[in-house]
Amino acid sequence: MKQFLYLFRGGDEGYAEQSPEEMQAHMARWGEWMTKISNTDQPVPGLPLHESGKVVADGGNLITDGPFTEGKEIVGGYVLVEANDLDHAVELSKECPIFEFGGTVEVREAIKM
Amino acid sequence: MPANSFQLVDHFFRTEYSKAVTYLTSRFGTAHLEAAEDAVQEALMKAMQTWPYQTTPDNPTGWIIRTATNKLIDHLRRQQKVYYATKLPEQAASPQPSEEVFSDELIKMIFACCSPSLSIEHQLILTLKILGGLSIREIAAALLKKEETIAKAYTRAKKKFKDQNLRLELPVADALPIRLQAVTKALYLLFNEGYKCTTGDQLIRKDLCEEAMRLNHLLLGHTQLNNEHTRALMALMHYQVARFEARVSADGNPVSLRDQNRESWDHQHIQLGDRYLATIKHGQSNEYFLQAAIAGIHSRATSYSSTNWAHIYQLYQKLYQLTQNPIIGLNSIIPCAEVYGPKQALIELKKLEDAPILNGNYLVPATKSELYERVGEIKKAISEAEMALKFAVNKRDKLFLTKKIFKLVNRPTSKPM
Repeated sequence: MKQFLYLFRGGDEGYAEQSPEEMQAHMARWGEWMTKISNTDQPVPGLPLHESGKVVADGGNLITDGPFTEGKEIVGGYVLVEANDLDHAVELSKECPIFEFGGTVEVREAIKM
Repeated sequence: MPANSFQLVDHFFRTEYSKAVTYLTSRFGTAHLEAAEDAVQEALMKAMQTWPYQTTPDNPTGWIIRTATNKLIDHLRRQQKVYYATKLPEQAASPQPSEEVFSDELIKMIFACCSPSLSIEHQLILTLKILGGLSIREIAAALLKKEETIAKAYTRAKKKFKDQNLRLELPVADALPIRLQAVTKALYLLFNEGYKCTTGDQLIRKDLCEEAMRLNHLLLGHTQLNNEHTRALMALMHYQVARFEARVSADGNPVSLRDQNRESWDHQHIQLGDRYLATIKHGQSNEYFLQAAIAGIHSRATSYSSTNWAHIYQLYQKLYQLTQNPIIGLNSIIPCAEVYGPKQALIELKKLEDAPILNGNYLVPATKSELYERVGEIKKAISEAEMALKFAVNKRDKLFLTKKIFKLVNRPTSKPM
């Protein structure tokens, strides 16, 4: 098994218009999917991220509010997934609920030392 | 043990929405209703985006209240409400109210949303939005209205709510019975909105019924509000909802009481209806009791023909005396026909049909058509059915009548006139 990082971007534009009932259903689908692609009965490890942060450059001399990217480009969260290979990892990502609202999943293989 | 995000109980977000909006509105004042709604919506969004990564918080209600409170305070600060800015931080850490306090606050919100100073339409929309946690789109689907219409009505209703500075408090003792009547009326109508129509999304319509029952249940939990009217209404709701599924066929067409599969009635609801009904001592001038008693007789009958129609008709007559509502009178015509025959029923119907409220109501000619058919006057039955078809609005009613006309016209042995 190899390890992969999924980066979630976008998909939140449509959220604000969802009703509480729809939000709960959407959340449930995330939870189910994260558990489905996991090898345990718990969701795959990962974290949601705040949309704002700092970008530190030049040895700490240059600190700016970031990320500067557009809303759609901001990483909203990540998870770590085990899969056989990149194709398998891509396959596993296809049921991600982020696609319901036009978000994307970036799938990256971690390099094994 | 905390659950995963997909193991939360059904409608959890919806009930949390109403709790949190009510809690924030009572703390910050009805002037901030809109900001409270936005804050709770944002809090739920945040829950949705973060809870799936781990198990849900130990205390999800507390999490939502806390998050929404902080968002509302941020919002008020941004609006430079200095008063709040200086006063709020320590309040934000106040302990989460108990379920009892939540219930009390929700009851006060029910009274505010069902204030007689608001039109009944506005009462229903406010109740569904704030207490039901339904979105404008869902309310529109449930009430079979356009989304835009509901959105506009909600904006107006909210404005009145704020302009009149409706306070979240229980009416004082003297005014309480009258105000409670208005509340039960609104809940009754809310329930009927969900129940009466067999078109549209049945799932969301059942939600209306369940919401009305949930709110009525809250009232019953309060000693001052648990009386023979609220209990009778609860009995009625249980009896009706027991037949919810049976009254629509698999292909979405309405099934009349006569043809319903009585096995598929929900007997748990019927039992609960019985239990509430049995607690009522003086039901004779209680509209909900009389309706519930009628529904109870239907629920206990093992078939249409073995139904105790005489008792039903008697109850209908009492109900009509009490309400003087011609629609109730119209509803009593079929029981009358079952007891005294279709000819007598036609005579009774004649007495009613000039009532302005029944003018253009397709049920009048539809009932007449049914009665004429039973006495064998097929020509009249056909012309009344055609009249009913002209008045009917609902697609399925039209289909039903068209089929009926076809059947009448093609009767193999129609008697000569």
